[in-house]
Amino acid sequence: MKRREVFIMGVLLIGSIISIFLPDVKPLKHIIGPKQLLYEINKQGRYITTDEVAKMIMEKDPVLLLIDVRSPEEYKKYTLDGAMNIPADKIMEGDNKDYFNSDVYNVVLFSNGSSLADQTWLRLRSYDYKGGKVLKGGLNEWYRTILNPQKPADDILTAKLEKQYLFRKGAQIYFTGATPVAGKVSKKSKPVVSKPIVKHKKKEVTGGCG
Amino acid sequence: MGPLYPQDLLNPEYNLLIGALIGVGFGFLLEASGFTNTRKLAGVFYGYDATVIKVFFTAALTALIGLFIMHNMGIIDITLTFYPKTFWIPTLIGGAIMGLGFVIGGFCPGTSLSAAATGKVDAMAFIGGVMLGIFGFIFTYESLWKSLRISGKMGKVDIAQWIGIKEGVFIFLFTIIAILSFVVFQKWQDSWKRKMDDSDIDDLGI
Repeated sequence: MKRREVFIMGVLLIGSIISIFLPDVKPLKHIIGPKQLLYEINKQGRYITTDEVAKMIMEKDPVLLLIDVRSPEEYKKYTLDGAMNIPADKIMEGDNKDYFNSDVYNVVLFSNGSSLADQTWLRLRSYDYKGGKVLKGGLNEWYRTILNPQKPADDILTAKLEKQYLFRKGAQIYFTGATPVAGKVSKKSKPVVSKPIVKHKKKEVTGGCG
Repeated sequence: MGPLYPQDLLNPEYNLLIGALIGVGFGFLLEASGFTNTRKLAGVFYGYDATVIKVFFTAALTALIGLFIMHNMGIIDITLTFYPKTFWIPTLIGGAIMGLGFVIGGFCPGTSLSAAATGKVDAMAFIGGVMLGIFGFIFTYESLWKSLRISGKMGKVDIAQWIGIKEGVFIFLFTIIAILSFVVFQKWQDSWKRKMDDSDIDDLGI
């Protein structure tokens, strides 16, 4: 056997011995292509309503992880019960992104409107992290529907709308009452605030200052 | 990072261009390794030349170990590369036919194209036979081959998972088998060469 062949066999043998100590193949994180990303953006499945989030908080859902992606200053002024603060520009730093790899949490991102949370979701998804859900309409919508729900006009009032209104009134009492609710999954203590500082808008908010 | 094309990081035109360049390089290396010589290729079946087994095993192992290590280094995601589903019955029958074609004709499809490019008439006849087989299969597929084609379905099979061992251990075992086969085939080849005189070796082009 030629010396060159022995050398090749030696290299292959070393490579195979190294392989023994490596873990089995699992899909890697990679950049999501534009086609896939566009498909996911259009799918709209990332949104979660304020009613759904309110219900989860009131039921003390142990896997709910609310992430406020606004600045720490805005977070200190007001946030949702049990929410933790990871500013949008720090979402990929250090251990922050690990929250989006977990199969345990139901992550919900929120900002004042939907925009900043949407951008954060997009950034996470483009790097193949689970982006979680985005609170549709953000805190503005939260204020409009949960903290200050308006009774639907009698001429459009259906059984479904009435049921929704009653739920929101109950949620309003729960969230604006004297008893604070501690979130199960918060990594930080909830800032103590008495009143949300969000602009009251009469019409439905489609964007927001986020 | 890689593979580039499945992640839309490379457009289809460049993908084809790179494929064509790799194809040219592959053909050049086949010719340079003597793989356009039918007697050299068929030698693996008779035992007087072990080049085919060495080159094919080395290529498979280089790809296997290289991809596995690069995957673990985060350079290429193996799960995004293409590999077909296994249908073991038609694969077994097709493999036997391919082997017969290889030992009778002295080429496999790739080497026949390289040999035809060097002007070998037997390679051109071989390609004619390949085309005949392809078109014969296409036109009789529905009536003759369809049920055979989909028999023995196993889905996408990872052999290491299938037999229940760690992938790295499978790679190591596969490497040991390859090295043993190199040694055995080399001894077989050496025993043949001792029986041959110089004119036989010249005649076979080995």
